[in-house]
Amino acid sequence: MDAWWQCEVPYPFVPQQVLDAANSVRGSLPNRWCDPRIAADLFEEVIDEFLLCDDMGLNVIAIEHHAGINSLLSANPLLLGILARQTRKVRILSLGTLVSLRQEPVRIAEEYATADVISRGRLEIGFVKSGGSEMASANANPVNNVERYWEAIDLIRKALTHQDGPFSWQGKHFTHRHVNIWPRPWQQPHPRLWAATGDPQTAAEVGRRGMVQVLVLRGPEGTKRAYQAHRQARVAAGLPKVTTDNFAYAALVYVGDTDEEGISIGSKLLWFLNTSLRSAPQYSRFLPGTAPPHIAAQVYRSRPKTDVAAGLANAEKGVTPANQNAAKLMAITPEQAMAQGILFAGNPDSVYRQIMEFYDKVGGFGHLAMIGRSGFMTHAESEKGIRLFAKEVLPRLREIGPIPAE
Amino acid sequence: MSSTVEVADRMTVRGIELEVARHGTGQPVLLLHGMQTFDPRARFFQLLAAQAEVIAPSHPGFGGSPRPDGFETIYDLTRLYLDVLEALPHDRALPHDKVTLIGCSFGGWLAAEIAATCCHRINRLVLVDPFGIKLGDRETADILDVFNTAPDEVQRRSWHDPARWSPDYDAMTDVELTVRARNWDALSLYGWHPYMYNPRLSYWLRRIDVPTLVLWGASDGIVTPTYGRAFAGMIPGARFASIEQAGHHPELEQPEAFASHVLDFLNA
Repeated sequence: MDAWWQCEVPYPFVPQQVLDAANSVRGSLPNRWCDPRIAADLFEEVIDEFLLCDDMGLNVIAIEHHAGINSLLSANPLLLGILARQTRKVRILSLGTLVSLRQEPVRIAEEYATADVISRGRLEIGFVKSGGSEMASANANPVNNVERYWEAIDLIRKALTHQDGPFSWQGKHFTHRHVNIWPRPWQQPHPRLWAATGDPQTAAEVGRRGMVQVLVLRGPEGTKRAYQAHRQARVAAGLPKVTTDNFAYAALVYVGDTDEEGISIGSKLLWFLNTSLRSAPQYSRFLPGTAPPHIAAQVYRSRPKTDVAAGLANAEKGVTPANQNAAKLMAITPEQAMAQGILFAGNPDSVYRQIMEFYDKVGGFGHLAMIGRSGFMTHAESEKGIRLFAKEVLPRLREIGPIPAE
Repeated sequence: MSSTVEVADRMTVRGIELEVARHGTGQPVLLLHGMQTFDPRARFFQLLAAQAEVIAPSHPGFGGSPRPDGFETIYDLTRLYLDVLEALPHDRALPHDKVTLIGCSFGGWLAAEIAATCCHRINRLVLVDPFGIKLGDRETADILDVFNTAPDEVQRRSWHDPARWSPDYDAMTDVELTVRARNWDALSLYGWHPYMYNPRLSYWLRRIDVPTLVLWGASDGIVTPTYGRAFAGMIPGARFASIEQAGHHPELEQPEAFASHVLDFLNA
């Protein structure tokens, strides 16, 4: 198993009374509450943490979110460029520039090819579907988001692999008559592709395409269902079976010297859920296109028939809609988070055991994506956790090789 | 003309199926709904149907109308309704070869697009708090962004009396809520970008050459009466009238005043 470390560079320093008065901490909170000097310090600390990961042999992930306290990483390719040059050993996963929000997939392909070349072939490319407040921030129509997502991926993949001069693309959402990117990527035919998704329809498509599938904070049942959809789609399409190397799970992870330290500092990561997920109804339950109408209708109610909604959602999508998942996550306690495989925290032995319990529950996965710093966790705490994880847990995970995924 | 029309609660035009409510007899009125589909039991609907034949389809993707693959633009809707206008007079051998076109809100945008394209099947045009054109400078939005504004604020600005008219989702049936969710998705698909207007429509409104009435709720906070007066000013000979104590949906908040304006205009 490989492990990957990430920090979303959250900005937790907005006064609590401002957050309490805002109907959303994403999308619409005025940026006067973001002090660029504090932001500069945060970037400096977090980039140093990424470089520490490089020293310790722990792979890194660069994410992207827009316009909120949850993340200052609104420009994924910029961080990617820094990591491509400043790290020297580890692999770098972009998870990712938010493709369905951008008008020019060819430009994204240029950014990725450049980062792959600068890093001499250490880039991995992840695609995230986006949702919620990202749609408002990017002016992106939420209703045909998934269509744009796949078409953008198709165009990027072709731009990365086509070596015979200009080609033309006249798709439904993107037209580009003269595509011929320089440089072409270092890795041939292209860097490995990943996708972060929770719903089985997308999981099936990810499976047919042989991409690595990342489940983010979905807990054992949702994760297992999505992995199954991925595998079943391959069987149905007559494609060869994949190994656990095609599956990844993202959780909050913190390792301390003792269980007490690991859990107490690790619980700071729950800020990401308890505080930074709060999103106004227009970005969540009333966002068009996020669920089939007969399910969306259930969440219009102020007192949703949650059982009904969950039942319908389960029948239709195999998992609850992302906004319902978010509602559950916002109220979660450290104990619940640990019980549900959202938070792995404690001393090195405990964290290893928690990861492997989850591994067994979902049928195995080849990549652990660690949300390693969030909220008010300090730079020193973060670096200590990275060191302990890399020294005490990572070597044990590395011994777990890919196995055929049944 | 290969299109056909069935007299029922469905209508098929050139292969596109529409749910349609039809009430009353007399002068045909094609009524295009706005952000939400109309309930034919609504008071204004019945008042119009007392003196005219009201034909109210749900746009593809709204209400119970399916949306064909790839049908997702104002261009598609405009051409669909041009076909509907061609087909209607042949229906049941109506004595009328022309139709009064009424469009509300988003449907008002459609009605303006249709009339600016071709008026030869239209005898009168009524636009009710329509969207569709860009008037303000580049940093001033004319039309409230209903997708990116808090739902309570959208309701507050939609009605003269929001306490009475804001929808109570808890009181709605599953079917009613599903229709609302379909309507919301379809509205977003057609109107997200550019948000609720066609940058070229204002230039071509001058092509509308039928008597036109522009009605506006005096308390409309989605799109203001000032916008409405300017909209009317771009249509040759159009008359503007304001309806007091009504917001973005004067047909619902003041059905008597609304119907009286429309019927006077129809009978003039």
